Amino acid sequence: MSAPVVEGRHLAKVYPMPAGPVEALRDVSVAVQAGDYVAISGPSGCGKSTLLHILGCVDAPSSGDLLFEGRPVAALRDHERTRLRLRRIGFVFQRFYLLPMLTAFENVEIVQSEAGVAAAERRARTAELLAYVGLADRAAHRPSQLSGGEMQRVAIARALANRPALVLADEPTGELDDETGEQIAEVFDRVNRDGTALVIVTHNPALAARAKRRLHMRSGRLAPPAREAAR
Amino acid sequence: MRPLPFAWRSLSRQPARAVLGLAGITVVGALLFDMLMLSRGLLLSFREILESTGYDVRVTATDALPGLGPPIAEARAAARALGSLPEVADVVPVRFGSVSVRGADGRTASVALLGTETRRRGEWRVLRGSDLVEGTEPPSIVVNRAMAQELGAEPGAVVEVATVLPAQPFRVAGVVEFPFETAGEASATVTLDGFARAVGGVAADEADLLLVASRPGHGAEAAVAAIRAARADLHPFSTEQVLERLRQGEFSYFRQVSFVLSTITSFFAFLLVTTLLTVSVNQRLGEVAALRALGFPRRRIAADLFAESALLVGAGGALAIPLGLALARVLDAILRQMPDVPARLHFFVFEPRALALHAALLAGACLVAAAYPALLTARLPIAATLRRETLS
Repeated sequence: MSAPVVEGRHLAKVYPMPAGPVEALRDVSVAVQAGDYVAISGPSGCGKSTLLHILGCVDAPSSGDLLFEGRPVAALRDHERTRLRLRRIGFVFQRFYLLPMLTAFENVEIVQSEAGVAAAERRARTAELLAYVGLADRAAHRPSQLSGGEMQRVAIARALANRPALVLADEPTGELDDETGEQIAEVFDRVNRDGTALVIVTHNPALAARAKRRLHMRSGRLAPPAREAAR
Repeated sequence: MRPLPFAWRSLSRQPARAVLGLAGITVVGALLFDMLMLSRGLLLSFREILESTGYDVRVTATDALPGLGPPIAEARAAARALGSLPEVADVVPVRFGSVSVRGADGRTASVALLGTETRRRGEWRVLRGSDLVEGTEPPSIVVNRAMAQELGAEPGAVVEVATVLPAQPFRVAGVVEFPFETAGEASATVTLDGFARAVGGVAADEADLLLVASRPGHGAEAAVAAIRAARADLHPFSTEQVLERLRQGEFSYFRQVSFVLSTITSFFAFLLVTTLLTVSVNQRLGEVAALRALGFPRRRIAADLFAESALLVGAGGALAIPLGLALARVLDAILRQMPDVPARLHFFVFEPRALALHAALLAGACLVAAAYPALLTARLPIAATLRRETLS
């Protein structure tokens, strides 16, 4: 059996605070296999986003081990982690974070450009991805000319641009109404069906319900009743 | 997308801020450029005037600048002695004086009078009429435009030097321009014999200054050394030595002012760009953190900032040059109204060195200015920033 895309073993994260250290994660172990679809939910401040950031290699655990495609992330140097994120991980943010001065097309293209993809190839890939998320006719529009749902679809296309093994989404429907959130959930379903592993942090029960696995967190731990609950 | 076009898009995202920033850099850059032109402008301009006379060594009786010390005695003999040196091509004695001159219509004017030999090089430039000649009666005189206008002293007219009794007549040979004449000041040149007549009572065989032209192939420094060896009682100065004395003395004030203001304007350019970029970065910390999360390396984010800084400073610096040149003309005109400033002397003089220094200082300001915001983004904690931005 091949190694999980990402695997955290006994992950802990402690934030030093003036009033004393805060334990954001306590002994969390989780593995995401290729083609997996995991939803993480829980009350605010329970450590969901911290876990997501650690799985996405943008934050390091205080203790425990993180392996990405079988390789220990702690052994990677900073620029190697950056390269790993660029090539193998896609991020979707609650606030989209599209570059406002670039068009939808350019927002999707720029991450491929940074990864060194040849111009012709990235233009073709960008057009394909915008069509994939249903925005082929909005390619030349800037984020300010797009609705929230459209911006999030562009962000999903951007996350998929370098053919990542894993896409992480932090409250991807947090800024959207229910109907638009439903459309985004459908896009995620399709992304997962097409083989990309997904980990989504969400408060949205409808979105969480679409995941193959639902994890519930409370006070920095995976809560036992919901742990590894099959869909 | 490469950093430069990316930076261009970033700047055009907030056009008002970019235009204000550009305007600020342009104004600051223009002041910087002007200060750099001022720092050596007087020396360059003075050198041009000195060299225009065609003489590259000046000899006086003491260390004092010409006209400020005692005259050289037995000037003709000294001139002959120096003229016989192999390093010397030409020697001309010069006398300075001040006389009162009456025109044909009875108007009088105070005139700065030079006594010398007939023109051999670039001692003056004939504008109209003919040149100074020896041995005429009445003696010949060449006058500048101010004197011609003030006394109606056009070529052919006879003017009287009224300082002596009886008044001495001189016939105006021509209207000329002197290299060191000051704006509006009446000045004239006569022969050495004419000068003795005009000022009366002054020893005819004296000179306030000997103008020396070095022989081609030897150079001014060799001529100075030869003069020193031949006549230890005289004080020769090459043009370079005169300029060096002025640089350390009379002109040092402008150099110091220019240094201080150049430093201040460079600092302002740095502050302005740093502030603009830092504010810009602080407004988009979430965006920067997201780009880092997406796999953009620190050096790319820093390169974008340096490119943004380079665009602002480059465009502002380029616009600063025509503005600086225009501003320099205005400031030059104001400063040249100071008393006793030769009309041909300029305070702000363009030279490629000023342009190169302007570019180098602005490039330095651009690099230093982008360093802090670049450091800010390089050290940005990605996860903490994303969390904070989501909560805010």
